[in-house]
Amino acid sequence: MNKILKIQNLTKNFGNVSAVSNVSIEVEEGTIHSIIGPNGAGKSTFFNMISGVIPPSEGSVYYKDKDITGFESYKLPHMGIAKCFQITNVFPKLTVRENVWASIFSCSHKSKIDLFKSMNDFETIDKETKKIITDVGLSHKIDDKAEELSHGQQRMLEMAITLGAKPDLLLLDEPTQGLAPEATVEMTELIRKLSKNYTILLIEHKMHIVMEISKIITVLNFGEKIEEGSPKQIKNSKKVQDAYLGRK
Amino acid sequence: MKNKYSFIALIIFLFVGPFLFPNATITEMLIFGIVAISTNIMLGYTGMLSFGQALFFGTSAYISGLMLLGGFPLFLAIPIATLGSFVISLFIGYFCVKREGLYFICLTFAFNQMFYFIAYVWTEVTGGEDGLVGVERPAYIDTQLTFYIFTAVMFLFAVIALYKIVTSPLGLIFKLIRENASRAEAIGYNVRFYKLISFSIASTFTGLAGSLYVLIHSMVPIDQIHWLKSGDIIFMTLFGGVGSFLGPLIGVVGYIWLSDTFSIIWARWPLIMGVIFAIVVLYFRGGVSELLENLFKKYKSISRKTEHEQDIKNTKLN
Repeated sequence: MNKILKIQNLTKNFGNVSAVSNVSIEVEEGTIHSIIGPNGAGKSTFFNMISGVIPPSEGSVYYKDKDITGFESYKLPHMGIAKCFQITNVFPKLTVRENVWASIFSCSHKSKIDLFKSMNDFETIDKETKKIITDVGLSHKIDDKAEELSHGQQRMLEMAITLGAKPDLLLLDEPTQGLAPEATVEMTELIRKLSKNYTILLIEHKMHIVMEISKIITVLNFGEKIEEGSPKQIKNSKKVQDAYLGRK
Repeated sequence: MKNKYSFIALIIFLFVGPFLFPNATITEMLIFGIVAISTNIMLGYTGMLSFGQALFFGTSAYISGLMLLGGFPLFLAIPIATLGSFVISLFIGYFCVKREGLYFICLTFAFNQMFYFIAYVWTEVTGGEDGLVGVERPAYIDTQLTFYIFTAVMFLFAVIALYKIVTSPLGLIFKLIRENASRAEAIGYNVRFYKLISFSIASTFTGLAGSLYVLIHSMVPIDQIHWLKSGDIIFMTLFGGVGSFLGPLIGVVGYIWLSDTFSIIWARWPLIMGVIFAIVVLYFRGGVSELLENLFKKYKSISRKTEHEQDIKNTKLN
């Protein structure tokens, strides 16, 4: 299988503290690869280094064999990497349509001249916007402002914005964070559905979801990779059990 | 539909304005209208508060004035002065947009004062404290009325251009940055670049207004490049309301009318303006335009309610 993302010896030091230390993973194209670990394991720091929010202290990130280490985050969607945030992160005063439209436009406009055209001149983007909004189940809210949506709906909108970039690789940072049980089921189903078309790197702490949908799981603890394998292997790993139970 | 009514009201205002205010006053209103509406692109649409807009207004006024004094035609002086503002805004904006919030404000303020002191000490060019005097209008706009018509045309051109911008994808990107800059970055927009574009658009149109201002009183007083003028611009924009495209124009008309009226009555008139500003900030965050909009909505809901009650009465009678 083709490796779409290769991460080699990624390290992040904050002063004398090492938040992530020498972590290497390879993500297979067309799979869901999950990163798990107890609180403070360094998952979010690891995620933020991949997505260009913070530069790594050492190590490299290769996407489709291109070195993208330390690339500014705005460049990644144009290369095919999109990110879904842990905390709901939408444009509150804009409508659902505008939220998604802007995301599609970002990666599909051809020249700077398009910036000055009328918004009505982009029929294809309008159609794609409606399709993505329908796919995430928000078509009845299309002209509502994002701030008027429920938390669960905002998470779905967040996902729609991410999909708008038409990525090859989806970086999902705890997409079920703060969701009610029914909405969590919906989101899990959506991720499963998305995995047919996208490669997904998922950070999630709800174990049953990770075990249910992942092909490969990497476990971090205290910033280090302690285990990697299939859900079954991870479930039976003594190292992982020790890490979650706080045993040394 | 709302915008259609606003533009009809604007056209009516342009025709009626000279009958409501002295020609010099209404011309000044239109000039500062360009300033406030363009500043709102940066302030209301992109969420960037600059205390440096007088820099562009004043610099353009000086460039335009100096060119006219040097015998250049007006149709060369205005574009070159505006272009001057554009170039300066790219240079200054490049540094300013590296910082956010308070630090951005401080940088714009610092640049404004740098330019002010240059104008202050460079007396042989700018006239220093006395300002640049003796600029004459060309014969075809010699009277106050013809100059008003000329300004109204320039004003309309600026308003249409700015409206095109806010209703384009670029306008949407500005709103994304205001709403959530980190998310805008995550979906692929280079936030710093678009902030610079917003800053430059606001400053270039402010420069255009500055190049016209020199013609009102045939001079450029030095206070037009002072940071207090930048404060006035912010005040006018907030007073009118940053939530709508033409709201800032209402702020300009109100501000200039109030300051003209109070300054005749009482020498300490800025005190009254301060009180008004405090009331607007405390109770009408959306400015006068939002207040008017709310009153209009209230009136509509009351009239609908009355109609409904009348219908019920009629049904009962029948």
